[in-house]
Amino acid sequence: MPTEECIRIPGERICRTDKGLVAGRGTYECNGQIYSSVAGMQLKSDKDGKVHIEVQREMKQNVLPEIGMIVTAKVTNVNPRQCKCAIISVETTSLSDPFRGVIRSEDVRSTERDKVEMYKCFKPGDVILARVLSLGDAQSYILTTAENELGVVIALSESGATMVPISWNEMQCPATYAKEYRKVAKVQSDHITQNG
Amino acid sequence: MPVDNRRLWTPEETIPPEFITKYRPTTELVNQNGKRRDGREANQHRPTYLKAGAISQAKGSAYIEMADTKVIAAVYGPREVMKREDFTMSGQVKCVFKFATFSCKTRQKHIEDDREKELSMTILEALKPAIRLDKFPKARLEIFITVLQDGGSALAAAITCGSVAVADAGMEMYDVVIGCSLRQIGERSLIDPTTDEESHRSLSQSDEKSNETSQAMMTVALMPSINQVSSIIQKGELSIDGAKQALKQCLDTARKLHPVIKQCLNKAVEAKLKR
Amino acid sequence: MAEILMSEAERTFILHGIQDNVRSDGRGCEDYRPIELETEVVSNANGSARVRLANSDVLVGVKGELGKPSLDTPEHGRLEFFVDCSANATPDFEGRGGEDLALEISSMLARAYDCPSCLDTQALGIIKREQCWVLYVDILILECGGNLFDAVAIAVKAALGNTKLPVITVRKDENDETELEISDDPYDCERIKILNAPCIVTLSKVGNQHIVDASLQEESCCLSRLMVAVTENGTITASKTSGSGSLNPESIIDMLESGKRAGTLLNKTLHAKLLEEEVKVGTKKKTMGFLT
Repeated sequence: MPTEECIRIPGERICRTDKGLVAGRGTYECNGQIYSSVAGMQLKSDKDGKVHIEVQREMKQNVLPEIGMIVTAKVTNVNPRQCKCAIISVETTSLSDPFRGVIRSEDVRSTERDKVEMYKCFKPGDVILARVLSLGDAQSYILTTAENELGVVIALSESGATMVPISWNEMQCPATYAKEYRKVAKVQSDHITQNG
Repeated sequence: MPVDNRRLWTPEETIPPEFITKYRPTTELVNQNGKRRDGREANQHRPTYLKAGAISQAKGSAYIEMADTKVIAAVYGPREVMKREDFTMSGQVKCVFKFATFSCKTRQKHIEDDREKELSMTILEALKPAIRLDKFPKARLEIFITVLQDGGSALAAAITCGSVAVADAGMEMYDVVIGCSLRQIGERSLIDPTTDEESHRSLSQSDEKSNETSQAMMTVALMPSINQVSSIIQKGELSIDGAKQALKQCLDTARKLHPVIKQCLNKAVEAKLKR
Repeated sequence: MAEILMSEAERTFILHGIQDNVRSDGRGCEDYRPIELETEVVSNANGSARVRLANSDVLVGVKGELGKPSLDTPEHGRLEFFVDCSANATPDFEGRGGEDLALEISSMLARAYDCPSCLDTQALGIIKREQCWVLYVDILILECGGNLFDAVAIAVKAALGNTKLPVITVRKDENDETELEISDDPYDCERIKILNAPCIVTLSKVGNQHIVDASLQEESCCLSRLMVAVTENGTITASKTSGSGSLNPESIIDMLESGKRAGTLLNKTLHAKLLEEEVKVGTKKKTMGFLT
């Protein structure tokens, strides 16, 4: 049996795969053996009745946007068909280098998808929450905001003040009381704690 | 490197004074007792100091010192691939290898020359099989390796250093990669040669004898746990048995270096846990 | 390198064939495809050769120029290799596309020839520290049909064997200044000894077996290659791995053995052919359109 809590380096053999042990994160399986694939701490966890062997790095994992993950992005460019943005963080981890993402007009909301007016949903500079729909093409990841909890979180008004959401599609400037259209995210409390 | 046109130019062609002086080392490479100039046995590696995490801003980094050979490596990314033509669905690795201008006997140019380009490609070939490219689709990992001082076996040092830097960056790898060089002069095989031993041929060219003996240099990159060789690069004459022997010796020495890497990475992980 | 699309079934077919020592074109694992060789094809070069290895087509020209010897070898001449992966071969080579491959080929050749016994560079020296022959070996890749390295090495060796350098005599004039006199008789020329020059054998690892002279299809099934430069008497002057995979030490030793076997045979055949060509070129009537 593998010893508890010890440091492993890439390529180090941990144990055999039998006895209900499964290669978890940070490990790989080859010829019936489990090897470590990162330098880090070896852990064991129980999942669906099986013991997962994991090697975990204390430093933040190398995160990359993956399908289904919620990302935070900053809008860079809006046109009638799509909205381009820079992904600045994935789930709770911020990225050192941004990745390009794109929201197509049909992925903005889940109802009346064909009547979306992009200029009434996003403006450059808005900070949005979105979900990764697919890895996309050479250019960018494809994102979606077609959920109540996804959409614009932080937006500045023309006078430069942070606007307050007043409905699912409108935000208001606290200084000038001007209203602007946005695809507003109904921010969930768990999202706030996650991102705060 | 930007060029300053107002500065006085050095003569277009300068020659390092070593090529003009008649001085040649008088001692043999290996003395009667089988000891080399620095007191090592023929199959002995120089004492190696290895440190992971030498550059704080990089995702991962490493520094290696093998007596006079000093190499530093930094890893950034995985970053988005900006150029559309370069796009692939699996992960990519980029490797830039550079001799610092003052690192060798002759001064190196700022601009990457063919030798450095080729060494970059060799290091990339040595490291790539060890990295799990499927873990970072659409993105590129960048490895920058600089030789601060070339005291011989710079390629081997760069391979080891690069692989430790990648591991320090927390990238998923199948194994670490260890480089090891061997210099064959006639019947003698010298593990981990110094620059003197590497360039021995140009010293003894005047001897008629030296043309008959084989002179070769081999560098091997080994992934020790899974016992796979990721790269071999050899130059100079070797018989088939000589090549086999050289390969075996390199592999044996590389295996001996494995504990050094393990200890160094352990230390790096411990340091991160404390923080 | 030029990539081709292949289905999984095709791959498996090739893989299983190689396991049984039968390749898709009927060869065994250590057999070369038919090689066509022609020398003295470019009249403006000092030496030239064209090699066609199945679908790989390579043209090599050697031009000799007088230059300054490099600092660490003051009495020696030198060889410079340049590879041009022209966009003729595959559109991928357009622009800077073929640069990496070109560098890989030229540095492999430079390594293979950088060894005193295989090519006597001292014979190319003229005046110590002052003058020497610099042989520019220019390699043009016309078509890419797999196994480029081997085809290039054969062509380079043939072109060097074909190279005729005018005889140069060094004399001192009355002011004790050295003077070079270049013979203007076209038949008064020096040849380069290439008997010990190496040929490159590329061994591709496919499945558990390794093969010599992989075709494009076979190359796309192989993850790692070992290239060995072998001379006629079986010494290895350079070797290098390439490709994205790794090899285990035992198979490298096997590959070195096969490389030696295939390399010595290839060298022998090449020498015989070059001799034959030498006789033929002397009497041959010039034809037009050398590529046909």
